[in-house]
Amino acid sequence: MVGIFSRHRSLALLASVVLAQLLLLAFQIKRDHDIRLIRYWAVGIMSPVERGGTWGFSSIRGIWTGYIDLHNARKENQQLRAELGELQLRNRELESQANEAQRLSAMLSFHEAHPEAPILAAQVIGASADSTSHTLFINRGTRDHIHNNMAVVTPDGVVGKIVEAFPSTSQVLLINDRESGVGALFAASRTHGVVKGSGDPDPRLDYIVNDEKVKPGDVLLTSGDDRIFPKGLLIGTVVDSKPALPFQLIHVQPAARLDRLEDVLVLLSQQEFEPKKAGEASFPLIPDAPPEPTASATDPSAATAAAAGAKPVSAPAAANANATNTTGTAGTTAAAPPASSTKPNDSAAKPHAAAPVQNSPVAAKPAAAARQ
Amino acid sequence: MSSMLSAGAHNESNVEVHKYYGGTVIGAAFLALLFQAFLHKYGRWAELIDLPLLVTIYFGVSKRNPVSGMFLGALIGILQDALGHDGPIGMYGIAKTIIGYMASSVGAKIDTEHPASRFGLVFILFHLHQAILAVTERALLNRPARFFTPRLLLDSVITAAAGVLLFSLLDRLRRQS
Repeated sequence: MVGIFSRHRSLALLASVVLAQLLLLAFQIKRDHDIRLIRYWAVGIMSPVERGGTWGFSSIRGIWTGYIDLHNARKENQQLRAELGELQLRNRELESQANEAQRLSAMLSFHEAHPEAPILAAQVIGASADSTSHTLFINRGTRDHIHNNMAVVTPDGVVGKIVEAFPSTSQVLLINDRESGVGALFAASRTHGVVKGSGDPDPRLDYIVNDEKVKPGDVLLTSGDDRIFPKGLLIGTVVDSKPALPFQLIHVQPAARLDRLEDVLVLLSQQEFEPKKAGEASFPLIPDAPPEPTASATDPSAATAAAAGAKPVSAPAAANANATNTTGTAGTTAAAPPASSTKPNDSAAKPHAAAPVQNSPVAAKPAAAARQ
Repeated sequence: MSSMLSAGAHNESNVEVHKYYGGTVIGAAFLALLFQAFLHKYGRWAELIDLPLLVTIYFGVSKRNPVSGMFLGALIGILQDALGHDGPIGMYGIAKTIIGYMASSVGAKIDTEHPASRFGLVFILFHLHQAILAVTERALLNRPARFFTPRLLLDSVITAAAGVLLFSLLDRLRRQS
């Protein structure tokens, strides 16, 4: 027996080891797996290493995922920046369209508020290349029944007048140009004067005697004496006034934003606008005017005219009226200056056939903007 | 049987016995158990490869000593059982004891350096290992155990392929004679 065992020692050992494990299994089955000590040792040996491995693996994975995340974050950042740029561009486009829609809506409101006035909407397509002159070009011309000396306005106020009408475009002389002159009157006192360009961005009100009380914020309207602008249109407000010789030096802030014009309205006739009554939809172009005095203390000629049953006309306005029948050159005396230095158009006094509003951008563009 | 063993003993003297640096065998076995337990956390795919079995086979074949291969298999198996939670200790111990013994015995008789022979050896011993497990489960624990399934075939192929790669890596741990 011993000899067999020694000859087959390895096999005997194998049988012994397997048998021992079988007994261990049987013991566990009987005791319901109650071999905690071996498990305790095995887990005690392995768990620290496993914990370390897990920590190392997690660290490596954290570094890797951090790098990947950083890389992705950079990529995502670039994408978001590009997206932000596109959205900002889109936002600006929408803002521009909203502003345009607002402008056109204001123009439409203006036309609806004054259906009696033939109006043609136009777009500003260019400006003068000469920095000393304040003119601009609009996309309407003689084909659209536009002629010289037609008034150009916006819903905010007076812009200027047509000085050259071409077949498809027209040149507009702004009220702050040196060559420009607009018959004006104070909305409150009804004192007449002439708003003239001075070469500066803001025009001046001339021919107001030093005795006249003028304060900043006084509203100026067109007087209608120049036979170009209908009476009652808003020109602007007084910025400041200084006594000077022979007349006060009064700076005027134009109501229309002359440096940011995009759409304008051309008045095809000099027909006066009907002032709105209280409670009706008012429009800034024609503020509520106080009752016109029958005579002005500073305007004796007007008093004379009123007494004669004629329309009250101030001294400079009377001179303007005279100037309309001349060649249009500037007056040589301070007492009788022309309100408009260019030759007035006779046709400005008679109403033109208005272009259909449906064909004008005033009616078409708000709908287009609303669709967008 | 005795002639076979004597022939094997005779052949043992003609076959090179590889030696390793101190702690290599225990370290490799420990790492195999560690990876096996560790990789299970990251997915079921880790079950496809039985790393402790591969280490048992490799060192059994390399040492070419059935007794040391048997004890190495017993140690690895019992630790593998201990790291489990639902089985009694001894299931893998018995299976790997036998596999370690057989791998050492086979390694003493045939060339196990070629990748193809390694692949075949691992493939066969894998199924033998599973068969011992199944018999033990059925006979001692009265648990239903399948001897052969398509999944088991896939596992054996993957484990054999992994064994070829792992054995070439472990070859680098051999001490130059």
